[in-house]
Amino acid sequence: MAGEIVKTSVPITFMYKNRVGRSLETYINGLKGKKIVGAKCPRCKKVYVPPRTVCGKCHKLLDNIIELDQQGVLKSFTVAYVNIINGEIKDTQEPYVIGLIKLKGASSLLSAVIKASSPGAVKTGMKVRAVWKDTTRGDYNDLAYFEPV
Amino acid sequence: MEKVALVGYKQTKHTFESPVARERIIYELVKSLYKDMGITKDDIDTFILASNDFTDGRTISEVFTVPRIGAYMKDETKVEADGLNAALYAYMRILSGLYNTALVIGFSMSGSEFRVPLTQAYTMDPAYERPRALINYYSAAALQAGAYMKKYRFTEEDLAALTVKNLENANNNPYSARKEPDASVDKVLGSKLLYTPIRQAHVSAYADGACAVVLSSKKMARKFTDKPVWIDGVGHLMDTYYIGDRDLLKMDSLAGAAKKAYKMAGIKNPRKEIDLAELHTNFASEEPVFTEAMGLFKPGSAKDVVKNGESRIGGSIPVNPSGGPLGANPVNATGLIRLAEASAQLRKEAGKNQIKGAKTAVVHAQDGPGAQSNTVFVIRR
Repeated sequence: MAGEIVKTSVPITFMYKNRVGRSLETYINGLKGKKIVGAKCPRCKKVYVPPRTVCGKCHKLLDNIIELDQQGVLKSFTVAYVNIINGEIKDTQEPYVIGLIKLKGASSLLSAVIKASSPGAVKTGMKVRAVWKDTTRGDYNDLAYFEPV
Repeated sequence: MEKVALVGYKQTKHTFESPVARERIIYELVKSLYKDMGITKDDIDTFILASNDFTDGRTISEVFTVPRIGAYMKDETKVEADGLNAALYAYMRILSGLYNTALVIGFSMSGSEFRVPLTQAYTMDPAYERPRALINYYSAAALQAGAYMKKYRFTEEDLAALTVKNLENANNNPYSARKEPDASVDKVLGSKLLYTPIRQAHVSAYADGACAVVLSSKKMARKFTDKPVWIDGVGHLMDTYYIGDRDLLKMDSLAGAAKKAYKMAGIKNPRKEIDLAELHTNFASEEPVFTEAMGLFKPGSAKDVVKNGESRIGGSIPVNPSGGPLGANPVNATGLIRLAEASAQLRKEAGKNQIKGAKTAVVHAQDGPGAQSNTVFVIRR
């Protein structure tokens, strides 16, 4: 009857080049100029950051792009002791902080890395500000992290 | 309105590595369910599978599984979501009047054949979240848990005690994959930190397994069983995709889905009228947030709920008396298992975890990072 369990290894590898869409293009172009932009819903006035294309609640196009303040309040955070890479959970070299930030003027929360003197120095409710790479290239990493004000 | 009943249910003994392949698992499960019920595949009008091309590792994956459940040359479809959503489709198909009976099955080999976080990663936005690699199912749950714990002074010890409650229930559940007879608060607090406050011990037990149920129209139900379980209310809502656009504590999609289901079932005060809850929690930390969004406990009351044992078997509303997904989380089957476990309670077939006099239960399933999409059933005996 049954002996050893036999398995075939079946990797799936395929590469997509997803067009990010106009909203994120606007956001990424903003990052290149060290600006954070959001999109305001003409109906409910909610300000989404990064800009979304459509407000789900109102079913309206969000084509009103506005520049946001680069300071905000940390609403929630987690200290990451692991990274998930290719589906595997691996220890980080150093723990780092992932936070949800409410920028002044925004309604939604922006996720970002928070860098303080140590992860223990990060507190919910603290004021944080954006820190940029010296040279921006027009990608998400231009906005390097947020730090306490 | 026509009513729909659950007239049969069965789940596998879930494992971290099944000795047989998925097609054999579901064949054996469905055959034994038909045998228990004294029926054959010919008694089933429509078949609905819940699985996912990524968890199956092949596209249009039901081409392999349809013959195994008896749906050869029959009306069938597949839902790329949890099995409770497949049950929702089955419920609607029966209400259409075109079908009297439906078989619903959810399954996966998420214990042994693929990395669950990888399939989760493929649900993340390829234009934004995936290249940034900050938000995943684990970190999203951690941000939610952190916000709850900070706001309501729910401590790591409280969360550990809640985890142990579920592990103890899972120890008494013959279908659980995870058995930890020495589960303790200290052991949970000593387990590996992943994303604070989430530790490895809080994570559900991704397993190989399956669950199947048979639903029937009211006029046929008594032919199959003298213990029908009635689906009296349903609700299913999806919130916006991005974590930062949602209120992670209010959980509008879950609160709204529960409200719809309660309204349909004529439930005015869930705290008084619900006898037990079976919830699809991928992490122990989701339980306080979910139960409160569903109106089962007061907002922010988890500290007292844990301390007073209100969610234990024997408490005011036992939550996951089966142990829930902390005992076994075979992706795609998990929410359907909640329906089977809650039905077992109402039919007095829940063995060591039986709740006395349970008449009304609420059942839940979720999908997406931070539980973006939620499905709720209210069932009664």
